[in-house]
Amino acid sequence: MLRTSLAVLAVLSLSTSLVQAQSAWTGGDDLPTSPLACDGTPATPVAKPYDGGVPTNAPDRNGKQITAVDVPKLIGIGYFDATSKGIAEAAAELGNMTATTDGPTEANIDDQITLIDNYVTKGVDGILFAANDPVAIAPVLKKALAAGINVVGYDANSEPDARQWFVNQAEFNGIAKTMIDSLAAEVGEDASFAIVTSTFTTPNQARWIAEMAAYAAACHPNLKWLETVEAQEDNILSFNQANTLINKHGDDLKGILGMTSVATPAAADAVTQAGKCGSIAVVGLATPNAMKPYVESDCVKSVVLWNPVDLGYAAAYVLRATADGTLKPGDTTVKAGKLGDLSVINGSEILLGAPFVFTKDNIGGFNF
Amino acid sequence: MRKLLRHETILAVLVVLALIVLASQSDKFFTLDNILNQGRLMTEVGLIAVIMTFVIVTGGIDLSVGSILGLVAILIGVFWKNMGLPLPMAIGLGLVVGTFAGFINGIIITRFRVPPLIATLGTLALYRGIAEGISEARSVRGYPDWFFVLGQGQVLGVPTQLWLFGIVAVIAAIVLGYTTWGRATYAIGSNETAARFSGLRVDWIKIAIYSSSGFAAALAAAIFVSRVSTTRSDMGAGVELDAITAVVLGGTSIFGGRGTIVGTVLGLILIQALKNGLSLAGVKSDGTIVLIGAVLILTILISNLFHRNGNR
Repeated sequence: MLRTSLAVLAVLSLSTSLVQAQSAWTGGDDLPTSPLACDGTPATPVAKPYDGGVPTNAPDRNGKQITAVDVPKLIGIGYFDATSKGIAEAAAELGNMTATTDGPTEANIDDQITLIDNYVTKGVDGILFAANDPVAIAPVLKKALAAGINVVGYDANSEPDARQWFVNQAEFNGIAKTMIDSLAAEVGEDASFAIVTSTFTTPNQARWIAEMAAYAAACHPNLKWLETVEAQEDNILSFNQANTLINKHGDDLKGILGMTSVATPAAADAVTQAGKCGSIAVVGLATPNAMKPYVESDCVKSVVLWNPVDLGYAAAYVLRATADGTLKPGDTTVKAGKLGDLSVINGSEILLGAPFVFTKDNIGGFNF
Repeated sequence: MRKLLRHETILAVLVVLALIVLASQSDKFFTLDNILNQGRLMTEVGLIAVIMTFVIVTGGIDLSVGSILGLVAILIGVFWKNMGLPLPMAIGLGLVVGTFAGFINGIIITRFRVPPLIATLGTLALYRGIAEGISEARSVRGYPDWFFVLGQGQVLGVPTQLWLFGIVAVIAAIVLGYTTWGRATYAIGSNETAARFSGLRVDWIKIAIYSSSGFAAALAAAIFVSRVSTTRSDMGAGVELDAITAVVLGGTSIFGGRGTIVGTVLGLILIQALKNGLSLAGVKSDGTIVLIGAVLILTILISNLFHRNGNR
């Protein structure tokens, strides 16, 4: 009896010390964070010199017909269908650019590297990419730059010197603020929530989670983070992970944050099927079409995103401006067709704009 | 032996045919640069496939190689960055762990009589899980420049890892084709009971083969990390299927007892040539996978047609 209770005590103390040791949110990265002010006062931009790469001996492409290839993280999902639609739209509008989309069928870094390598060998004028890993993709992008190819990233960055420009869909701290504010507004200031992400190493998701942790600590200190689970960008896995969270945490769980356009609808579906609409809030990044059923049934109140069609559209315009030489290191804005002037931030990034929250009132007006 | 040669001949003809067709589709395909570069990209799967040939010739299979690759990749990073060991020692330790992981496969298969498919399916999950647990899902970066010679550099104009692959392939071909070891491997695959009664140390040979398979995966891990200059726990996912495809395309019978290293290397070349050539010719990646699947089935069908009178 004594031995049993001692063992129980030991296990208990061990588990509590484990819980205490686990103070930081998992899934974030180690980079420094810069949470926005709680009331939304815009941060003053910090001037930073150009830190992108430069292609070697690029031919004069000003105004000439160019061929570009778009290599997203993977093909066959709604999000990247939307970006490639935007790229095609911009290419049609420009008239002097042909763009094809070709990506791996799974979000696999090795396949993506091989694919880009082949296009470098084949010889294209420009490469648009969304990286599966910022460091792993760098050698092959540098090879493209060395071959005189213009390289522009969108959606998911590489190391800065491996590409010329990166079109940033939204600043990480902006998304983080919108996500946490929406969550706190729906579940209250002292509720517990969990996160469903793609993988802990996916650069965007890791950055958002780190920023969310910093923003929550500063502006919503009583929100309680339970855990972060990985679900690749896989439909079934995301559903299962969300379901596990619901069963595991029971009534403690008041909210689920979906970090990918796959995880959020899957989490909403899991909550709907568990009959927990209203008691568990789902807030997350997702495309409107996937979320319409849940938003219209009032199960989900806020869907956070930017417009991926605009993102692809802007990336294509930036590539064209880079090839033409009209966008040079040191410039502060770039013209992007119907989007107007976009501003240059962080040395070599172009900011698409502030994040957008889809709600029941406006979601019907979007179709992607 | 004549029967064995036949599949390889068919395959060699197919490879030459593919090379000619692909070269006519893109002038960038048959350049020295591209060929060497493809060799570079092929090495990791190649190393694994060469040893996988031994495994499949014994009538077994090793599904855990991709996970061993991921585990060793993470360990190299952790040993070096978190534990502060010198990088060569970290790589050495990684190779030891990889070999040990293969050794465990061998033990589970021989001592506990678990079918290889199930045993390595189990360790596929086990090793990947350990890799993700150890890495805490963070990647290790910032390796010193000399390390990149292995995966990104070249020796005498040929990618470094291609030399390694060449050496491993030649040794493996000699061992499988011309030594008692090779004979024993075929004997186990043809009839394990007979091999046992002939006095062969069947269990010991199998353990050695699975350990080598772990070693090959570990070596591939070091090269992979050097090639992409970062370490991730999801590295090598799916590599086992690429390797098995190359081995089977190379004429190795999945039931054991038949297969050669030359066939496996030809299989590797055909797949890599198709992937690269079709991409250069403007076929998108989804179309390429479909074609590779079709080629695999077609080659096996043709080969079986010629062997209709033989056994298996």
